[in-house]
Amino acid sequence: MFQSVDDVIQKLGQQDYICGKDIATVVYLAAKLEKPVLVEGPAGVGKTELAKVVARATGRPLIRLQCYEGLDEAKALYEWEYSKQLLYTQILKEKFAETMAGATTLRDAAERVGREDSVFFSDRFIVPRPLLRAISADEPSLLLIDEVDKSDPEFEAFLLEVLSDFQVTVPEVGTLEAKHRPLAFLTSNDAREMSDALKRRCLHLYIDFPDEELELRILETRVPGIEQRLAEELVSVMQRLRKLDLKKTPSISETLDWARALLALNARELGEELINDTLNVILKYEGDIKKTQGEIGRLIARRSTGGESEGGDTGASESPAPSSPPAPPASSVKRGVLH
Amino acid sequence: MQQKIIAFANLLRKSGMRVSVAESLDAFVALDELSIGDREIFKDALRCTMVKRSDDIPTFNELFDRYWSAFYDQLREAFEQAGENAGDALDIEALLRAVEQGMEQLPPGSLDLSELAKVLLSQDLNALEQLIRQAAREAGTEKIENMLQIGFFTRRTMEQLGSEGTGEQLRSLAGQLRESGLSDAEADALLAMFERFMEALRRSVRNYTERELEQHNFDYMEKFRRESLLEKSFYNLSEEEIRKMREVVARLAQRIKNVLSIRKRRLKRGKLDLRTMLRRNAGHGGVPFELLFRERRKDRPKLVILCDVSSSVANVSRFMMQFMYSLQECFTKIRCFVFVSELGEVTPVFKDKDINDAITKALDGGDVINVYTRSNFGQAFHIFWRDHLAAIDNKTTVLVLGDARNNYNDPRAWCLRDIHNKARDVLWLNPESPSAWGFGDSVMDKYLPHVDVAEECRNLKQLSKIVDRLLL
Ligand SMILES: Nc1ncnc2c1ncn2[C@@H]1O[C@H](COP(=O)(O)OP(=O)(O)O)[C@@H](O)[C@H]1O
Ligand SMILES: [Mg+2]
Repeated sequence: MFQSVDDVIQKLGQQDYICGKDIATVVYLAAKLEKPVLVEGPAGVGKTELAKVVARATGRPLIRLQCYEGLDEAKALYEWEYSKQLLYTQILKEKFAETMAGATTLRDAAERVGREDSVFFSDRFIVPRPLLRAISADEPSLLLIDEVDKSDPEFEAFLLEVLSDFQVTVPEVGTLEAKHRPLAFLTSNDAREMSDALKRRCLHLYIDFPDEELELRILETRVPGIEQRLAEELVSVMQRLRKLDLKKTPSISETLDWARALLALNARELGEELINDTLNVILKYEGDIKKTQGEIGRLIARRSTGGESEGGDTGASESPAPSSPPAPPASSVKRGVLH
Repeated sequence: MQQKIIAFANLLRKSGMRVSVAESLDAFVALDELSIGDREIFKDALRCTMVKRSDDIPTFNELFDRYWSAFYDQLREAFEQAGENAGDALDIEALLRAVEQGMEQLPPGSLDLSELAKVLLSQDLNALEQLIRQAAREAGTEKIENMLQIGFFTRRTMEQLGSEGTGEQLRSLAGQLRESGLSDAEADALLAMFERFMEALRRSVRNYTERELEQHNFDYMEKFRRESLLEKSFYNLSEEEIRKMREVVARLAQRIKNVLSIRKRRLKRGKLDLRTMLRRNAGHGGVPFELLFRERRKDRPKLVILCDVSSSVANVSRFMMQFMYSLQECFTKIRCFVFVSELGEVTPVFKDKDINDAITKALDGGDVINVYTRSNFGQAFHIFWRDHLAAIDNKTTVLVLGDARNNYNDPRAWCLRDIHNKARDVLWLNPESPSAWGFGDSVMDKYLPHVDVAEECRNLKQLSKIVDRLLL
């Protein structure tokens, strides 16, 4: 499927998904080891998108199970198609009459009907839901179990069984086993912690907010019309915004929304006033907007001193703002050794 | 390599992570699939197989760097220095090549080099790292506990490495090479270089021993830090510490929500709704093509929280408010009240403000209630009874957070009784231990008959146990 970690980076890149080695390594291993991946991280950092692009990059059909509170087995696995069963009984009424002919007691009649059970409880009348579709698919598929943290703990236990061997038992029909193990991605916004058992079964990927460089690349890929200068300003503001203690920290999706909004407004640079007017695109809570409005000066400060001069907050800012800690040195240890 | 990974997994466990055996095995399998020459990929592979909680990632990163890179880097540095010091005339590469050629000409069997000597001559630092680790293991270095033992374990490791014998072998090798045609200058340089190798080796082993000690202390500190925060009484928490607990508390809140919602979910679906079904299917000659189930009412649990914010329990209440705030973020049907002797609702304050502002505001009382009075639980319950009893129904869980120290006021337990009668259940978390309940001005004993679950809750560990117990 993928030749190497670099191959993953490249193939996802062709689908406009920009990622580093961290994400690519997990995707590569998931494909190699046929293990499900649990993707966690804040909302809007590209968890769902990752599963979608892996499907596209590998040419696998995407089968999506969206989780919600109250989701149960019937909705996730299969349901009997009751009305079709009934229709058949109506059509086959006469046939039934034949079967019943000679039955003397009610019990006898019921027995005879019972013997025909298998006619009505066969795959013909099963409505497959996403999990069963993934298991019975004729070609290898990609199963996306989205926002699994929203499902109930009992459902998680059920999911665990399915994910462990990709086979399910339909009592009336028998055991169905996957012809091809689907590649499974589970995403979670961490609304609740998944059980240890589930986690043990999965590879774990944590996608955090991107660093400045990565975010810029994502922005330029996803909003191609944007001018570089505006893109840089915007990303720099977003990066600083994330350091504020907000109720809902804006994510990549907000960066993209904001960029598109600014494009629509024909904006060429990001001034204080413009930020003020468009904050509601990226912040959803009144409290967050208020808090940010007080900080706009600082969000765009230092940027205007011409070239990107790194190193030292030597600006004349008297504010006791805690100077953000310097980014950790890009620790690209170059040595290639380990045995 | 596998051993090294197992040891690393142990280290992770010692620092409080849950790494199962199956997960270490996954790590082996994963590494088989990768070219692990790339350190970044190697690290990601270990992480995604062994670390499953995002909270643990920073600790993992730190331990990884300590465990996997630092020592090798030091080793390389030490031996690079040893090579550089050779002076301009003789570079180490040329010298080693000369040794190689010379050795080929020596009569076979005339020298029997140890593993260590071979590794030093070939400057294969990876192999050297392995040798040192193995020797250190045999020397029992991982048991090191204090600085005074550094010298001891360094010596023991050197002994295990057989360094003395190797030194001898190298010296005699230089001698033999001198006899078989190496110039005096070259031979002297060679001898000097061997000495420097041995010195670099000794320094590296010492460094390794120091690292082991550091690691030992590091685990210890980590554990200590975690446990202490868990076990520290709410009474003694600083604001900073409370903030640190924010995430843990948010998780607990979420778990409580799960509990309350599961307990309610008994039936898989609602009952068959015969009446509507027959009507709906009339068009099919009475054959019920469409089954109709009564919509099961969504049982959204309701939560009402009453939190004591009197100054005697200032830090406790700061913490409890944080808990309350987190709960509010999980539940849609929740109402939060604070009291000292008056009672005021803070639900809207919590909704609009971010956590710190909200708590400060509620604690300051200000527009909510006067907090600078003495606690009067009886009065607070009475006010709640008078103004809000109607809001309680049989789906409501009432949670009281407070010490029940009533300053000898009338407890008015009957108010709580009435609340209890209407509510689904009443839970009480008290920061004092049960042995103090009912003594002095504590009226906890008066309230107990009207409470379904009452627990001592003085630190995070207890709170999390309580949440666990509710889970069952
Ligand atoms: N690495 C990335 N490369 C390209 N686009 C991305 C990337 N990460 C996120 N996005 C974009 O951000 C948006 C939000 O992603 P989504 O997958 O919905 O987030 P999540 O599922 O984590 O909440 C999507 O529109 C996606 O296109
Ligand atoms: Mg999503």
